[in-house]
Amino acid sequence: MTAPLPKRIIKETERLQSEPVPGISAQPHDDNARYFDVMVEGPGGSCYEDGEFKLELFLPDDYPMCPPRIRFLTRIYHPNIDRLGRICLDVLKNNWSPALQIRTILLSIQALLGAPNPEDPLNEAVAKQWKENQPEAIRTAREWTRLYAKKG
Amino acid sequence: MLAAQGKLGYHVELDYQAASGLSERERALDDTVLSELLESTHREVDCQVCYNLMLDPVTTYCGHTLCRKCLARVLDHTHHCPVCRRGMAIPPLQQTRSNVTLVKLLNGLCPDAVAARAEAVFEEEREGTGDLDVPLFVCTLGFPNQLTFLRIFEPRYRLMIRRALEGNGEFGMLMYNRYLEPQGDLGPVHFYHYGIMLRILHTQTLADGTNLVESRGMYRFRVKAHGVRDGYGVGNVERFDDVPLAEEERIEAEETSLPAAGEGDMTGQINRMPTCALVALGQDFVTRMQARSANWLQQRVLDVHGQPPDDAALFPYWFASVLPISEEEKYKLMGTTTVRERLKVTASWIRRIESQRW
Repeated sequence: MTAPLPKRIIKETERLQSEPVPGISAQPHDDNARYFDVMVEGPGGSCYEDGEFKLELFLPDDYPMCPPRIRFLTRIYHPNIDRLGRICLDVLKNNWSPALQIRTILLSIQALLGAPNPEDPLNEAVAKQWKENQPEAIRTAREWTRLYAKKG
Repeated sequence: MLAAQGKLGYHVELDYQAASGLSERERALDDTVLSELLESTHREVDCQVCYNLMLDPVTTYCGHTLCRKCLARVLDHTHHCPVCRRGMAIPPLQQTRSNVTLVKLLNGLCPDAVAARAEAVFEEEREGTGDLDVPLFVCTLGFPNQLTFLRIFEPRYRLMIRRALEGNGEFGMLMYNRYLEPQGDLGPVHFYHYGIMLRILHTQTLADGTNLVESRGMYRFRVKAHGVRDGYGVGNVERFDDVPLAEEERIEAEETSLPAAGEGDMTGQINRMPTCALVALGQDFVTRMQARSANWLQQRVLDVHGQPPDDAALFPYWFASVLPISEEEKYKLMGTTTVRERLKVTASWIRRIESQRW
C-alpha cells in the first residue's frame, strides 16, 4: 500500500507535459507515477549532438526533500557518467535543494553533456583519455553517440 | 469643488453615503480585476517546496518565504535556504513568527483559497494514508506503563514525531525483526507485529537538530496492515488487551487443578502454580537480587523504571524492562492475553536464571 501522490509531484508532472522543455521529455509510468522514462537530446555543438539519450528517473518517498534518483540507460562516453549510467552532478547530491525540480535537474544534465568535467570524474578511464587526448575522446564520444543514441 | 460651491456640509462631522449604487456590471468588473490580480501574483504566493498557496508563511533572514510546515521539513535535512542556499540561522520554528503582512494579505484577498488550502493540509495530515493512520517506528521493544527514551536523528522520523505532536501525541513502536520471522497474515516483514503505543511526554531538540523523546507505553497493538508515508512506516493497528477477569479466573482454576507435574518438568510446574504464587515468585526474586546488589537493579536503573509495581498485571512489563535478557525473549510478553500468561513467562525466566546460578 502506498500513500497518495503529493500535490507537488502532480503539478510538476502536469507542467512537464503542458510546458515541455525543448530537447527533453519525461513521461511517468502508468503503474508508478514516481517513475519516469526520460529522454534528453545531446546539446547542439557538443560531441553528443544528434543523440537521443534515455534515462530513468525515480522520485523517492521523501522527494522533494531528497533529490530524484536518475541514471542513464543509453550507453554514453562521458567522464562524469559511469558504465552503470550513474551521474556525478552536485545538484543530484549535496547541492540538491527542494526548490529545484525535475525540469531543472534535466536541464543540468543536458548542460553536463555540453560541458564534460574530467577534473571531477566518475569514470576514471574516460576522464584520463579526456585529459590526455581530448580529440580522441571526443571522437569516441561521437562514435558512441552514433552507435547507441541514434534518433528514432 | 463642493467647498467652493458652499455645499460642503460643515455642520455635520462626517457625511457618509452608502455605496449602494454599484451596478451588476461594476461589481463584475471588480471581481474580474481581483481575480486577474490573484492570477498574476499566483506564482509569487506559491510555496517553492510544495507548489501550493503558502500556508502560514514564514520568512527566512535571507528573505525567502515558505509554508511553515515546508520550512520545518527543509530544516530536518539542512540548514541552507532552499532558494538561495545561504545558511539559515533561524531560531526554533515554534518561536519564529509568521510573515504577518503576507498572512493578512492572503486572508484578505483570497480567504476561500486560504481556507481550502488549510483544509487540504489537514486532510493530508490526518487521512492522507487512508486506514493507515498510525505512525509506526521500527526500533525496539516497549511495554505498557514503562518509559521509553528515544533519540531521533533521521529526518523522516523527526517529521513523524512532529506530526504525532500535532495530532494526539502518540505513535506506535515495533521491534525490528532481524531474522524475518513470519508475522501472521503479514508474512516475513521487517518488524514484529505486536507493538506498543507510545505517548510522547516530553521532547527536546538539540543544537544538531536531533530530537530527544521521552515517552510512556500506553497499550499493546497488533499491526493489521502497513505502508510507508514520507519515508516512515504507517499502519492500521488493532488494540490488544487482556481477556476479562472472569475468563482469567477460569483459566487459573483449570490449570491449577491439573494433576501434579513431574519433578523435572519446570514448565509443567509453573503451569500449575496459582497466579498469586507466580506474583510472589517474581517479587521474592527481585527482593533477593536487590539484597545481592544485582547490577541490573542499581539505583540509576530504578530511577528510570521505578520500583517494582504492586499491580500484578504490570509487574512483568517492569521486570522485562530491567532484566538483562534478549529482546526476542522479552517479546514473548507482547502477545499475551492474560496476566497469568505473562507471569508464567517471567517465572520461566527466573527458574532459568536460578538454575544457571545454583
